[in-house]
Amino acid sequence: MSYDSPLARLLEHPGIWRGRSMAAVDVVPTGFPDLDRSLPGGGWPRVGLVEILIPRLGIGELYLLLPAIARLTRQPSARWCAWIAPPFQPFAPALAAHGLTLERLLIARTRSPLWAFEQALGSNACDASLTWVRRVHAREIRRLQLAAERGRTLGFMFRSMRAAQEASSATLRVLLQPAVQGAHVTLLKSRGGLRGSIEVSWSVVPEK
Amino acid sequence: MRPRLVPANAAQQPALQKSLDEGLGEGARQAVLLDAPDASRHIKPKELWIAIHLPWIALEALRLEESNVARDITAGPFESLAASNDSRREARTALSRPVAVVEIEARAQYVIAADEAAHRAGVRPGMTLASALALLPELQAQPRDLRREQALLEQLATRALRFTSRVSLVPPDGLLLEVKGSLKLFGGAKKLGRAVIQDCREAGARVAIALAPTPLAALAGARAGQSFIVVDPAKLVGRIGDVPLLALRWPLDILDRLEKVGVRSIGEALRLPRAGFARRFGKESLAMLDQLAGRGADLRKEFRARERFRKRRDLTYEIEHHEGVLEVLGSLLQELEKFLRGRQSGVTRLECRLKHRHAPVTRYVLKLAAPEVDAERLKALFSERLSTLALPEPVRACELRSGNLIARALQAESLWRPGEHGGGGVGVESSAFIELLRARLGADAVHGVQLFAEHRPEAAWRVAELEAHEATTRSRATQAHAKKSSAKRSETQAKVSSTHTAHPEQPPWLAFRRPLWLLPEPQPLSERNHLPCYRGPLHLSAEPERIETGWWDGKDISRDYYQATDVRGVKLWIFRECADPHTWFLHGFFG
Repeated sequence: MSYDSPLARLLEHPGIWRGRSMAAVDVVPTGFPDLDRSLPGGGWPRVGLVEILIPRLGIGELYLLLPAIARLTRQPSARWCAWIAPPFQPFAPALAAHGLTLERLLIARTRSPLWAFEQALGSNACDASLTWVRRVHAREIRRLQLAAERGRTLGFMFRSMRAAQEASSATLRVLLQPAVQGAHVTLLKSRGGLRGSIEVSWSVVPEK
Repeated sequence: MRPRLVPANAAQQPALQKSLDEGLGEGARQAVLLDAPDASRHIKPKELWIAIHLPWIALEALRLEESNVARDITAGPFESLAASNDSRREARTALSRPVAVVEIEARAQYVIAADEAAHRAGVRPGMTLASALALLPELQAQPRDLRREQALLEQLATRALRFTSRVSLVPPDGLLLEVKGSLKLFGGAKKLGRAVIQDCREAGARVAIALAPTPLAALAGARAGQSFIVVDPAKLVGRIGDVPLLALRWPLDILDRLEKVGVRSIGEALRLPRAGFARRFGKESLAMLDQLAGRGADLRKEFRARERFRKRRDLTYEIEHHEGVLEVLGSLLQELEKFLRGRQSGVTRLECRLKHRHAPVTRYVLKLAAPEVDAERLKALFSERLSTLALPEPVRACELRSGNLIARALQAESLWRPGEHGGGGVGVESSAFIELLRARLGADAVHGVQLFAEHRPEAAWRVAELEAHEATTRSRATQAHAKKSSAKRSETQAKVSSTHTAHPEQPPWLAFRRPLWLLPEPQPLSERNHLPCYRGPLHLSAEPERIETGWWDGKDISRDYYQATDVRGVKLWIFRECADPHTWFLHGFFG
């Protein structure tokens, strides 16, 4: 179908949603072309909750998000990028080297991240928000998803991969497993995107 | 220097009646006061100043109502100097007897002010306390209370704001009012002067005033007890000629030297040669004479009344639930909003006090990042806090106190919401979000980060204050910068992928050689066969990077950093101390 046809143009309308189609949803590129091709619209959704399931911390889950987050903080009139209850202290020089605008980074330390995360998603003050949670119920995820839509925010929630079998109303669910040069990304749930496993790699081996 | 208090009646010096105009002879051109050109004689004054001098302020301040002082303590600069309750009670009971205010100087106590009864008995300012007590054994000596004096001065200044908007304080005992625009309204200079005196008397202060086109001239007149009214600038010099120089409060050594050459009055000083005067008595003194005569600008800092909101609601019933408290607080906040909107200002500090029957007052202070007005938003912030607050007893009364009012620029709201097409970016939501988080999590729990030029990893970043509004423009600037520099870099370093455009301040090679997470303290690792272990043996993946720096401040480090992967695929940043015993440490995770 050529892009000039009236039907194609009509289908590009964001209000029209087709199953399995690369519907023209507002997205932000992930920075990994292979992953972009598998995701609906060609990137992380601009609005909504994304669950990232990981076997343990430190397998590269942040590298997966950094290109997109850096892009969001660099855009003109960027809103906050809020990190709610990060497990350790984010190391500013490395973040800056990845292109993140540090002035837009907000770090909140709390023992109960869900409340703060919901505020970050629904307050209309953040472009993106990240949080690390241990336990979260399905109805809480539903609440967070609604908050993200209300505040037009992209929320990333890192959870243990043990939750892979639970039901969830997040826009996107991604399972991440370590690989030699990067990670295997499995799309567990993706509205209108492809299923399956994609291998993404980041340059972990430093240049000489 | 101790400011000299010159009582109105004590400063009368033999007046030099010779008018300046007559006195100008051949040497007039070199005199401090150059003869003004004829044209200027009919110029209307640009400003007219009333100076209020409070000769008895040290005494009157002691009678100041307790509540007035207390109110100023809450935010006043003299908080730490707050006198004990005992001395205040003493001050009140003492007022029935003759009182003298004393100040300690060079180990002796000197009287600096005496009330009428003491004055009749011969107690004079400048006496030692010992001689004053010899004259009047029942004399009650009070230490000088500068905090109360300041409070009295500010109280008078606040009252004086009804005469003019331009009031400035001349501590410790003077006020200046610029009244040019008020003369007509109050029916002329004389009537205005009388109204000012009356007003001060109602506030408990006896004052001397003078009106002149320059603030210094008016002050000098008031301090010397010459209540003149000079409206015409041309007549000013003639009128203040006989005011003693003492009224200008110059340093004592200058006054002494002037007295040695026979110069005691302002008129005499004005007739001295300019160049010689500046050389012998200092440029500052000459500049002051110029200001006095209206030839030099004399800028005065304007006094702003401290205005706050304070309202208390006593309840006829007791409230046990947070919702009830919030209800009462909500109505108080509505009143606050009306109060603030009328003044086009906002508050950044709000205190809420909940009173109980027996338990001490429950107090909560709300601090805001930006001046706030909106009652609904404030109520939401309070509700966050109240929900976590345990009330010891039912609430009987609720009080709201604001901090200083802060002028607020009105903003037009954007048609689009931020994030939407054409949205205005960071705005009200941005600071409201931070305040909400801080209200619940605590002020320190929410922060930003910034880079710090330092090679030691643990010192290469700092906690930064969050900037809600300015960041937009700056991030745009860095973005433009980043584009430019990345274009240059891509030529030389083809390895950097286009998605990882580096921050201009950080070299791109750092991106994958520094961890995203840093431990607050390096954590020692166990060893097996001289190789580090962390949940199993570690695989070291790259050649070491040595960081050796910081010898100048005693926290020097010398470390070889490695990237390592543990058995489960987690990437670690570890280092080995170069010095003995070559211990291994874990310092971060690559994320």
